[in-house]
Amino acid sequence: MTRQNIIEISGVEKRFGSFIAVRDLNLSLKEGEFFSLLGPSGCGKTTALRMIAGFQDHDAGTIRIDGQDMAQIPANKRPTNMVFQSYAIFPHLNVGDNVAFGLRKLNLGKAETDARVAEALEMVELGGLQSRKATELSGGQRQRVALARALVMRPKVLLLDEPLSALDKNLREAMQFEMRRLQQKLGITFVMVTHDQYEAMTMSDRIGVMFKGQLKQVDKPEVLYARPCSREVAAFIGGMNFLDASVTAKAEGKLQAQVQGFGPLAIDVNPNVTRRGTKLLTGIRPEQLEISAKKPEGYDGYLQGTVTNAAFYGENVHYHVTAAGVPQPIAVSVPNYFHTVDHQQGDPVWLGVQNASVIDLGAREA
Amino acid sequence: MNTPTSEPLAKALTPAIRKPRRRSLRFPWLLVYAIAYLVFLYLPVLLLPLFSFNDGTIVAFPMKGFTLKWYAQLGAQDTLLQAMVNSLIVGSVTALAATSLGLFAARAYVRYRFKGRELSEGLVMLPLVIPGIIVASSMLVLFIALGLKPSLTTVILGHVFVALPFAVSIMKSAFDDFDQSLEEAAFDLGESVIGTFRRVTLPIVAPGIVASLLVTFTVSFDEFVLAFFLSGNQPTLPVYIWSQIRFPAKLPNTLALGSLLLLASVVLLLIAEYFRRRSNKSA
Repeated sequence: MTRQNIIEISGVEKRFGSFIAVRDLNLSLKEGEFFSLLGPSGCGKTTALRMIAGFQDHDAGTIRIDGQDMAQIPANKRPTNMVFQSYAIFPHLNVGDNVAFGLRKLNLGKAETDARVAEALEMVELGGLQSRKATELSGGQRQRVALARALVMRPKVLLLDEPLSALDKNLREAMQFEMRRLQQKLGITFVMVTHDQYEAMTMSDRIGVMFKGQLKQVDKPEVLYARPCSREVAAFIGGMNFLDASVTAKAEGKLQAQVQGFGPLAIDVNPNVTRRGTKLLTGIRPEQLEISAKKPEGYDGYLQGTVTNAAFYGENVHYHVTAAGVPQPIAVSVPNYFHTVDHQQGDPVWLGVQNASVIDLGAREA
Repeated sequence: MNTPTSEPLAKALTPAIRKPRRRSLRFPWLLVYAIAYLVFLYLPVLLLPLFSFNDGTIVAFPMKGFTLKWYAQLGAQDTLLQAMVNSLIVGSVTALAATSLGLFAARAYVRYRFKGRELSEGLVMLPLVIPGIIVASSMLVLFIALGLKPSLTTVILGHVFVALPFAVSIMKSAFDDFDQSLEEAAFDLGESVIGTFRRVTLPIVAPGIVASLLVTFTVSFDEFVLAFFLSGNQPTLPVYIWSQIRFPAKLPNTLALGSLLLLASVVLLLIAEYFRRRSNKSA
């Protein structure tokens, strides 16, 4: 059985006065997919989510859910349910009545309603808390109630608006895994809005990156990380050193280029890039660089420089290295194997890079 | 904490700082002031119920004896009962009108950012600071110019004006912490617009509505100046009581009635406060 597209969005636009919040949004989501909309605040990702939910009209284009055009269908008739950023737990109802809120409208009968509420609460590990008052819940419990209240409706698509942003770090990480497990078990399509790149990467099958109302790239997390389509996407996800380069030759999916500081390198052509030219922008992830006091063996490009900053982060050590011919310091991240900071400020060091670690980011601007 | 290093420091400071402070506390000025303040405020109020049980028409010590006859006579006084009914009508209609208007105004003030919001809010609150006598005389002039004879209707119009600031303040505090996504969540879960209002909005602001009804009713029930100017030949209770004070023989009846009203006002305000707190807690 082939997987159907549960959501089809084409050419959708939303304006607030003269401000264009979302422009020309095109997106197809498969059934059972965990999709994240990632972007800085104000990029239009929440507006996009609210248009899918039906809280906001779209000014142009079409939104189809399960094959049906949503233009004339209000939020309360759509096969979607939402987990709100504030969780929106009804304060005058207990946990059981909160979860049963939407079921009451379906006239299932008391036995069926109670069974589904119990099942939903069991699912989010709040079994037996039906009579707990909403005002007595902790932040994590509120999040779970919000999740149960939406999932109990058995929506075709679950929409999540920054669902973990109100939780502290440890709880957030635990919930990331739990929500992912739940989504895989239920097979429901999840669409999550977040500004947290790690949250998006750890949970999602695919991520859409948005800037200024436009969807810039939609890809699997690992592709997004390894083959970002532009400088802004590359900068938003993970750390990145940007180095200018000039193309000297092009053959068989490779670019021969002179890279700032590192010299001649053979770079794989990035298929996601659209802007082309001889003035190339390249990127190297800090963790893909080798740093050593002596010249390391077996690398394609080398650079000699001086450590200007060394910072201990726990799981890894971050260095800044300056070198002649490179305007900004180069960031290097090394896993912390031996609990030592090997290079101190002022030390001369060698950096080494493999061809495959250099990312082609297309023609640089101006 | 007495760590070895801080001990000498504490000793050095003791004579200079701690002793004078202790001396000044020897005579409890603050307590005396507080008691004097409370006596000044509430003793006259307490005299009212006290003399309503006094078996004599002259309000002075020594008191003659205990009686309930002033209370017993109340039921037989038709004009007084009529005034009471007038006050109940005016109070109820005022409470309903002011609370409904206040509900909508408060929702708009809290939810929306619009031009002239602060000006409009200021205007609504203005009756709190305008002297009642000015409002009363200008309203009388206005109503007569409009051909509206002084009656319970004009009293109600006046009372809605003075009660509105109370209703708006109470409803604003009820809406202040009302998260808008609660209504969206209900709608998202399949509820209709009306159902959302009934199942979510109303229960959450209901304590505020009850508190507002009670407070505005009390404001109207106690109001004298406007009622005196605008009631014509349909006196409300305070206006009626005022007219009776001139007759010494009627005074004890008035005291008995006044005591009952005092009791009713206190009870109503306590209930209103209870609901106001509940609305703050739940939101």
